[in-house]
Order: sequence, then structure tokens, then C-alpha cells
Amino acid sequence: MIVLTPLKKFQFPIHAECINPDVFQGKSVEEIASLQVWEGNRQKKLGDIFKIEATTHETPNITINGDVSEVRRIGQGMKNGEIVINGDAGMHTGEKMAGGKITINGNAGGWTGSSMKKGLIEIHGNASDYLASPYRGSTEGMRGGKIVVDGNVGSDSGSHLRGGLIKIKGSAGPFLGFHMSDGTIHVEKNAASRLGANMTGGKIVVSGSVDELMPTFTIDSIKPKVKIDDTETAQGPFYVFLGDLAEKGNGKLFISKANNAQLGPIYEKYL
Amino acid sequence: MSVINAVTCPICGCLCDDIEVTVVNNEVVKVKNGCAVCEAKYMGYKSEHRIRQPLVRKEGKLVPVSMDEAIHKAAEILANANYPVLYGWSSTNCEAQRVGVELAEEVGGVLDNTAVVCHGPSLMGTQEVGIPTSTLGQIRHRADLIIYWGCDPWSAHPRHLERYTTFTEGRFEDSEWKSYINKVKAVAGKKKLLSAQRVEPHKKPHETVAESLIFNKPPETLQKEGRKLIVVDVRKSMTAEMADYFIQVQPGKDYELMQAIRALIKDEELDVEQVAGVPVDYLREVVDALISCKFGVIFFGMGLTQSAGKFRNIEVAISLIRDLNSRTKFLIMPMRGHFNVSGANIVSAWQTGYAFGVDFSLGYPRYNPGETTSMDVLLRGESDATLVIAADPGATFPKKAIQHMVKHPLIVIDPHLNATAMLGDVVIPSAFVGIEVSGTAYRMDNVPLPLKKVVEPPEGILTDEEILKKILEEVRIIKSKRDEKTEAP
Amino acid sequence: MTEILIKNGFVFDPLNKINGEKMDIAIKNGKIVESVNEQKAKKIDAAGLTVMPGGVDIHTHIAGGEVNTGRMIRPEDHVKDVVSKTSITRSGTGYSIPSTFVTGYRYAKMGYTTVMNPSMAPLGAKHTHEELNDIPLLDKATFPLLGDWWFVLEHLQRGDLEGCARHVAWMLETTKGYAIKIVNPGGLESWGFGRNVHSIDDTVPNFDITPRDIMCGLAKVNKMLNLPHSIHLHTNNLGIPGNYVTTLETMKALENVPTDGRPTCHITHLQFSSFAGDNWGNMKSAAEEISKYINNHNHITFDMGQIVFTDTTTMTADGPFEFTLYQLSGHKWVNTDVETETSGGIIPMHYKRTSAVNALQWSIGLELALLVEDPWKVFMTTDHPNAGPFFAYPKIMAWLISKKARMATLAKCHKKAQKRSLLPSVKRELSLYELAIVTRAGQAKALGLKNKGHLGVGADADIAIYDINPEKIDVAKKYKTARKAFGNAAYTIKDGKIVVKDGEVVQHTDGKTMWLDVKTAEQLKVDEEMKLKFKKYWTVEYENYPVYDHYVKVPEIISVKASV
Repeated sequence: MIVLTPLKKFQFPIHAECINPDVFQGKSVEEIASLQVWEGNRQKKLGDIFKIEATTHETPNITINGDVSEVRRIGQGMKNGEIVINGDAGMHTGEKMAGGKITINGNAGGWTGSSMKKGLIEIHGNASDYLASPYRGSTEGMRGGKIVVDGNVGSDSGSHLRGGLIKIKGSAGPFLGFHMSDGTIHVEKNAASRLGANMTGGKIVVSGSVDELMPTFTIDSIKPKVKIDDTETAQGPFYVFLGDLAEKGNGKLFISKANNAQLGPIYEKYL
Repeated sequence: MSVINAVTCPICGCLCDDIEVTVVNNEVVKVKNGCAVCEAKYMGYKSEHRIRQPLVRKEGKLVPVSMDEAIHKAAEILANANYPVLYGWSSTNCEAQRVGVELAEEVGGVLDNTAVVCHGPSLMGTQEVGIPTSTLGQIRHRADLIIYWGCDPWSAHPRHLERYTTFTEGRFEDSEWKSYINKVKAVAGKKKLLSAQRVEPHKKPHETVAESLIFNKPPETLQKEGRKLIVVDVRKSMTAEMADYFIQVQPGKDYELMQAIRALIKDEELDVEQVAGVPVDYLREVVDALISCKFGVIFFGMGLTQSAGKFRNIEVAISLIRDLNSRTKFLIMPMRGHFNVSGANIVSAWQTGYAFGVDFSLGYPRYNPGETTSMDVLLRGESDATLVIAADPGATFPKKAIQHMVKHPLIVIDPHLNATAMLGDVVIPSAFVGIEVSGTAYRMDNVPLPLKKVVEPPEGILTDEEILKKILEEVRIIKSKRDEKTEAP
Repeated sequence: MTEILIKNGFVFDPLNKINGEKMDIAIKNGKIVESVNEQKAKKIDAAGLTVMPGGVDIHTHIAGGEVNTGRMIRPEDHVKDVVSKTSITRSGTGYSIPSTFVTGYRYAKMGYTTVMNPSMAPLGAKHTHEELNDIPLLDKATFPLLGDWWFVLEHLQRGDLEGCARHVAWMLETTKGYAIKIVNPGGLESWGFGRNVHSIDDTVPNFDITPRDIMCGLAKVNKMLNLPHSIHLHTNNLGIPGNYVTTLETMKALENVPTDGRPTCHITHLQFSSFAGDNWGNMKSAAEEISKYINNHNHITFDMGQIVFTDTTTMTADGPFEFTLYQLSGHKWVNTDVETETSGGIIPMHYKRTSAVNALQWSIGLELALLVEDPWKVFMTTDHPNAGPFFAYPKIMAWLISKKARMATLAKCHKKAQKRSLLPSVKRELSLYELAIVTRAGQAKALGLKNKGHLGVGADADIAIYDINPEKIDVAKKYKTARKAFGNAAYTIKDGKIVVKDGEVVQHTDGKTMWLDVKTAEQLKVDEEMKLKFKKYWTVEYENYPVYDHYVKVPEIISVKASV
């Protein structure tokens, strides 16, 4: 295992996509220390900004101890292995990840797990905006794998989702699951406005309350429970809505009946 | 005395180019054809707090220095910075903007323009779904349904209606000037009557919800032949007073309203009875008007780009237009504010691929609003130097961003001592673009227009382009000396 | 200025009928000369290398409003292809719509030195020229869109060809343009109200005129003005199954235009206009019908618009066609109608081998190029970026010179396309001489560029040298070697300066912008009436409309004496 410890508090953005088990694989500490990174507009070596040590533990492959909230692209595109970050992680952590595991014992920056394909990301703090969402202008959302967030997530998370599972134990910001076409998002607490806007498929389950519902969803039924994945079922009852009608969509919203009494008078008459 | 015609007005995105300026002894004495804002600018630009000499902060005070010293100081700051921000660019010409991109590239900085605080979300919306649009003349000749959404051209773009939309004479559509004049008169009369009846202002009876709904019922004129005007806004603006129909949307609910209209266009039934304060029955009538027009257009402003939802608001607005095109011809256009913010986006895009928020720190252009945009960089406290040109973030950015900006060296290039310049460490005075400097600017519909120099700048005052070129040259000298030093041992 | 002597290269210079002869080329003051002082001159040892005139591209969308809007809406396209700054070159982004600097560098790396920007809305001409100024290492010219301009429609409607000619001459000078571009004639004005024309004899709404009238009228005007290039036409019904009928009718209609022996019309990106069948399911190639016609007539030249399998961006003034693509794909869609003049649209497009339609389109482009016998009628393009980015040219060159290369690609295509493709029966492999025609000599000739596309004395010293030894390798067999060599010129020389060496840019030079100054006997009078009309038709003042001289950084003005 390689242990990285920041040598200082970073002011400038650090671009360090080399922090990736696939890249470290088979390299000595010296070789790892000489990998190229950017600190602001200056090219540096990884060893210039991190203390790098090797231990005899097999897993995780990489441990980072300290605040790396300014370090971007950790584990970008990684296929194998495991990274544990004991501190806040920067933007684009695990972007386009294709396998392996990243654990963040802290908060995660924007675009964490952006367009990921496979693997597991566990965030034990909060996640910022655009969790799992693709880059600007792209519709290539997350295709598979799993992201678990203990805390809250920001806006526009899970947009263009095409597969996989995002599990949020806290609350979610606006535009959750924007334009998703498949896959599952489960919010254990509350969801903000524009929930599932433009969704065409897949499902979003909200066990807490919703700020408000887009007017372009239509009520379908009330279901006692809903399957999250092979290991988990969320207990309801849930109002089930279909939409987004503006996209002639076939996405499903499961909204806790107990925590959203305000919806009853508006929608139950149609059942 | 000389009379200069076909002058392009350097104020707003309308870029009216029919201004006639009379100059006597290098002074503008008369302005014809312009709106009140235009006239005020040409007649009054000299009385603003003009900077006459370069200034550098020494022992806490801004003191006059030579141009060379100011340029060297500015270059030194930028050349040594690890992550500088170069911000502004909207009130200058494309010629200066071109040099700006090169300078930002040379110093590995973040190049950003004021779109980030106005229509950046419009550009981001466009990146998601495209944009069906046109030049303004197309609307003048053909549009029979004009919608202003979240903007008040009567106040912010005063000649927009008369030059490009409702009040212009087009090849296929006539001006509706007369009918609206009558309407404006009637509104003014009604207001007078109301104020006469009113005993005390605070005792004005509140409209009940029911009354406001009756008031809001779409009038039959929405189905008439000829030009129709609809305004959607959170409050009744001057433009709204003139409209055939005013839709008062609940603040922050534009997204829901547009999404509902989209569903109705697709003949979907909604479960709810009202959306954003508007009864769905009325919306259905609006939808009828939208799809039965020959050629419709939505103009939108910061009421849409800067309210809850931001770029998603624009995305949904454009999606609405996309949907409408399967039924009729319908276009959309942002009401750009600063006279050459479009130019800043255009120049940046042709040189880098990206219209704003371009980060050169890795040696090539990168773009990701939220990550590489100036405001976000400042709020996260990442930058270590700032150059501000042709903008005044000191007056518009949030306090936290300004606090970080002034913690590090700040270079300001501007004709007058604005809020930002007063915080600057190096302040370089520049000539007024469009008055003392010619060049190119892009109208809100991306049509390029030449700016004219109508008077000479004060002696010793350089143009933005000249100042930037000097800084760039000096930066290169400083960097090459530094490289020699590092290579020597 | 430095003198250069390129020694012992295998020279392919079709305009001077030089076919692979081993010879020297001398350069002085940016021009090709008889000889230079061998002692003083910088010598390039080209022994074992192929020497050709610099490449000429007759049709590539590289600058202006449409192109730039394409850049703005596709960050996801740029992010995968970034270009860092060096001490000589600027940074930028690539892929389907490269930034201006990168456009210049990438063309130069392939040995190209002259390119035509074929689509410019006159109202946005300043923008186009500002961008052309920022495209280094290349000579450029740009074509104003005139087929749906109200002045043209009104004059042709009245049968006033001379008046039309004077206005076109005025417009070429005013926009600093080089040729008459016509896109879906009549369709763009119709698109102003969301409609289109569907045959060359449909009447344009609000104007009593047909596409046939517009094309033939402007072709005649083109002759009256003695323009160096013919009309440059994007046909009606482009991109729609069954459209080859319209294309044949178009070519037939233009037979009647009196000719001086030179071609009357250049049909651009012909691949998109050669579809048989009546829907996307039964679409077939009409390359046989189209090539047969072109083989039997001499008034038409064309460029391929060759499909490359990649993610690219379509952009054209054909607004209604882009709307059709939007309806098919649901992708992000830009529409940009321009008052009084034209329209435009943009849709991103991913051409896939696994799509029967795309694979068939790929086949059609190559079939056309190979079935038309006279290489002087055929030019290689991708209609950049419509059918693919221009830096895919080496791939297309390989397909043209090697059946093996074509069949290797065809084997990976959709089965339906494989079955319908004519390529298995086409044996022809272009020689390097023929390749030099379709990539430079023929294009220069069709454009009437006298100093381009050849290496005769007096020509501009625009030269490409490729690491291909025609005595040692058979490019039809070793097409991968050739492909690599065409993508990374050993040398590119622009105006006598070495700008690329071993595939890398080594020197900056601006390159010129060529435009036509057409002298008509009676110049267009810009009187009060014309100014008034101007005010009525456009939203800008007459004085602010022209592209003034300072908008062109390095101009090359070509004077033309009209016969009207």
C-alpha cells in the first residue's frame, strides 16, 4: 500500500489523475514520487506536494491522509484496486471509473463519479453538485456501478443516469436524476425541487419528503414497497408517479406517502 | 464641427448602429436617434471619474507612475502568478479580446468574461440542447408572436421593440406601433385615475386571488392576425403594460411553467390545476396561440438566467422551442446586456473552443463552469492574482469573492476609477471603446458591427488593445529571463 | 528571403504533366523559380521522398458564425482532443470543430496550404474574416451565400440578369468573397417560415421563382462576371433518400447555361446528393447513375463529402435539412436564419460502421470518386466537419489508392451496406499522380487559382513533401505506410518558408486571404434608393455592412474583368 500525505494546505488546484492504482501498480516509491502533476500553472512531481510512503499492507492500494479537496481527478478512469481518502476529496474523483473502489472519509467535490461505468464509490460525508453526472454538453451519464453517500448531495446529481445505483442517506438538491433514462436513485431523506425533471426512464425513490413535484408527472398508483437493488427493498407506502410528460417519459418516482401528506388532496382523486 | 452618422452605440446588446453624433472641438455636442441611455453616455462620459494617469499602490496608497512602470508591474504580477484570473472583457472591442486570450494563455490563467454573471447559463443551456435562433432582422420581417420572458426591454434595451420586433415594419409583418401607443395611453390614464382615487398609498385594496385570475385570462387578441406581444415576468414591467397578454409567473417557477407548456404542446394531460400561479386552462389557450402563430420568438433575460434553475431554465426554454418547431416556426434569443459580451464569447470560442470560463493553467484550454469560472475560483480562494478589464466586479461580485481578490495583487484596466479600480494595486487608464476607440463588437444575435472613434482620447491614454499588447510583451521578457536563470546552473 | 532547393524528390505535378520524375524544385522569394544559387540556397534532400504541390481544399467549414456556434455548443467534443501551447504554436482544442490555430496547424501537418471556406452569410462576413486571420499557415478564401439573397431572387424574378450580376459583383467585393455559393436554392427563403422546396421546379413562397431559375440564373451571372470558379452548389433535397433524381435534374438544367469550355457548376459534397430508394430502410447508392451522367458531360465538377466513421458535427446553411436531422436524431440542434440572405443549422452526428445508412453513405462517396473516370472532375473532401473532420484525409487517401484498404473497412461495416455497396466490384486504385489531382491540382484548376496546385515556375512556393518512395513501396499494398506519411508531412513549405518538418509545426506564418475585385462596366450605383432598400431589408446601416480593408490581415486581391 502507498500512503500519501499532503505536505501543505493547497491553495491552487492540483491535477493529479496519476493517483490511480492502475498507474501505481508495479512502481517503486521513487517512481511514484516522480509522476507528473500540476499545481496551478506549474508542473510538479507528486513527491513535491505529497509525502509518499509504502507499507506492507495489500489493501487498500492507496491511502491518502489529509485534506485533498483541491486535488482533482483522483482515481480517474481507474479499473482496479482501492483508494481510501481520509479527508475531503476534490472534484472529478473517480470520474469515468471502470472498476475498483474509492472510499472518501470526508466530503466529495463536484463531478465525483462523473460518467462512471463500474465499481463502487463510498462517500461518508456530503457530496457536492453533479455527483455521477456527465461533463458539460454530454449526455453520457453513469452507466453502472454504485455510489453510496452518507450525507447530502448537491444539485444536478445523477443527471443523464443510464444505469447503476446512487444511494443517498441524507437529502438531495434540485434536479436530482435530471434526464435519466435508466438506473436507480434512492434518497432516504428529502429531495428538493425539479426532482426527476426530463426523466425518460429508471426510478427515483424518496423516502422522506419532496419540496414540490414537477407538474409534468402523473400519478399512477400507490405501492407498499419498492426494490432498490438485489439486497435492499425500501418500505412505503409510496405514491408512484410517471413522467416526465414533457419528454413523453416513462420514468418512475416513488414518493413516500407518509412524509408527503400534501400530495394526497391533489393526486389521490385520480386513483 | 463634424457630423458622424451610422455610429454604433457602445452600451447594450442591441448595438444600434444608426446613431448620429455631432462633434465640435473633440467634444460630442449632439446625439441623434439614440435612446436616453445612449445619449447620456455620449454626452456624459467625460464627466465620469476619469483616470488620467497610471497608478500603482505604494504603502497602501494609489500614486501616479509612468506608463512603463505600471506595465512592468502588471506584467510582473501576472508572470509570477501560479493561478491568475483575467476577468471582464465585455465592454471592450474584439481586437482587445484577442490579445486577452493570448495573454491568458501566456500566463496560464483563467480567462473569464462577464457572461459568467449574466448569460453564461444561456451558453450552458445551449450546450445541452442547441439553440434555434436567427438574426434580429428575420424577426422584424416575419415574427407575428413575440414573447419577452424575464426581461424588460422597455427599460434595459430601450430600442429593441422599435428596431427589431413589435414596432418595426417588416416585409411580411407590419408594425403594431399605433395600437400599442393607444394602449400605453390608456394604461397611463388608468394609473392617473387610480392615484387620484387613492386616499393613502398603503390603503390601496389588494387584488384577491380570484380577481387576479380574471385579469390574467388570455384575451381573444392572442388569436388575431398580425403581431402579438406576450410578456412573462414576476412583476408587471413597462413592457408588460403594453403586452397583449401578461403572464405573472411566481418567482422562481419559470422552469415548472415552461415544462408544463411543453407537456401541453405534446397533448399530455396534467394532474394539477395550476402551474406557477397560472391556471392550466389559461395555459392551454396560450399553447393554442403558440402553435397557431406563423413565426414566434422568445426573448429572455436575466429573469430567467439568474433565477432558481439558471442554465436549466434556458435549457427548458430552448427545449420548448424545439418542441414548437414540430408545429410552427419558433425561435429564441438571449437579451445580451453589455454591448460586446457576445464578442467576448465569440473571440474566446474561435481561439479556444470555449466561450467563457477558460482555464489555461495546464497549457491548453479547459472549461467547466463551476470549476474554471472566475467567480467560483475566487469563492474557493484559489487564485493568487487578478486582472480586471472592461468590467466592474467590485460592484457586482459577492463580498467573499472580492475579499479574496483583494488579498492578492489586483490589476485594473478601465477608463474610470470604478469600484474595482479603487481596490487595485495597478490601475491603468484606457480609452473609451466605441467613443475614443474603433473596433468590432457583436450584437446580441452575433452580427458583427464596426465601432467608431468619434473623438480623440485624452493625451497619453492608450487603448485596451495597446495596453494588453505591452503587458504581453513585458510578460514574455520577464519569463524568458526567468527561464535563462533556471537553465543557467 | 531565403532560397530553397528541393533536391532529387519524386515530383508529382499533374498540371505540368510531371508524373513522379526525379527532379529539383527551386524556390526564391516565396515563388517557384527556374533555378537558385546552389551554394547559397538551403537544400532539402528529398531523395526517396514524394514531392507534390501544397494540398488545396475546395470545401471546408473552418471559420465564421456557423462554425463558431458549433464550437460553442460542443465542449464535450473539445475536451477529448486538447492541444498545448508550445514556444511556436498557440494552444487550442480539436476534434470535429478545431479552434482556429489548431485548424491551421493540422492542415499544414498534412501538407495542405490552401483552403476554401465555402459558406458565409454576407451579414456575418466580418466575423468570417476575423477568424480567417487567426488561421495560420494557410491561404484562404471564402464564398458568400447568395442563392436565397432577396436581391438575387428579385432580379432573377424580373429576368434582370445584368442587374443581378452587378449586385453579385458588389456583394463579392463587399464581403471580400471568392465565389458564388448556392445552398438548397429557394429552400432557405422558404425555411424563413418553416417550409422547404422539394423539387427544382417548386415555387418559392412569396417570390415567384423556382430553384431552377436561381441556379441557372446565377450560373449565367457567374459566366457574365468571368469569375475564376463556377457556381458552387449544394443541391436541393440534400441528404434525403431518392434525391439523386433531383441531382440529375439539376445537372441537366445546367446543361443549358452557355459555357466557355470550363465547368458551369461545382456540386459540393455529392455523396449527400446521391441516394436512391425512397426511405431510410431501402436507401441505395445512386453512384452508378450519377457517375454515368458526369462521365458523359463536361460541365460538372464535384467534391466527395466522404463519410468517416467518427463523432463529428454537421453544419450547413441548409436550415431545413438540419431540422430534418434534428427530427431524426433528437440531438442538440442549432438553427441560425439570417435576415434577407440565408439560413443555417448544426447537429452533432456520430457516423457508425454499424449503421446501414452511414456505412452506405461511406461507400457512396468512394464509389463516386472511383466510378467517375476523369480525376479532374473529382475532389477529395469530407465537407469538413459534416462528413468527418478534415484531419481524416489520410484515411480517405488510403481508401482511394488501395482496394485493400477499402475492403478492410467494408468488412467491418453493417451487413446490409456490404451487400448494397458497389465497392467490391470496383478495381480502380488511384495512382499518386491521380491522387495529386484530386487533392490539389484539380481543385486549384476548378477554383481558377493560377498560382496554386502546381510547381511550375511562377507558382506560389506551397509544397508538400511526403516520406513515400514510389520506387520502393507499392502504396496500394502498403496503404498504412502511405496513410501515416500523408498525415505527417516530412516538409510543408508555405510561401517559401518551411512551416512543418517531420509532422511538426516549426514556424509561424499568417497566410493570405484571397478575394475578388470584380470590375463591371457599369458599377453598382449605391444611391439613396439603394440605401433606403438597405434600411428596409437589413437591421444594420449601409455604412456598417461592408468588410472594410482592415478586416483582412494579409489580403490578396484578385481582379476580374466582367463582360457586363
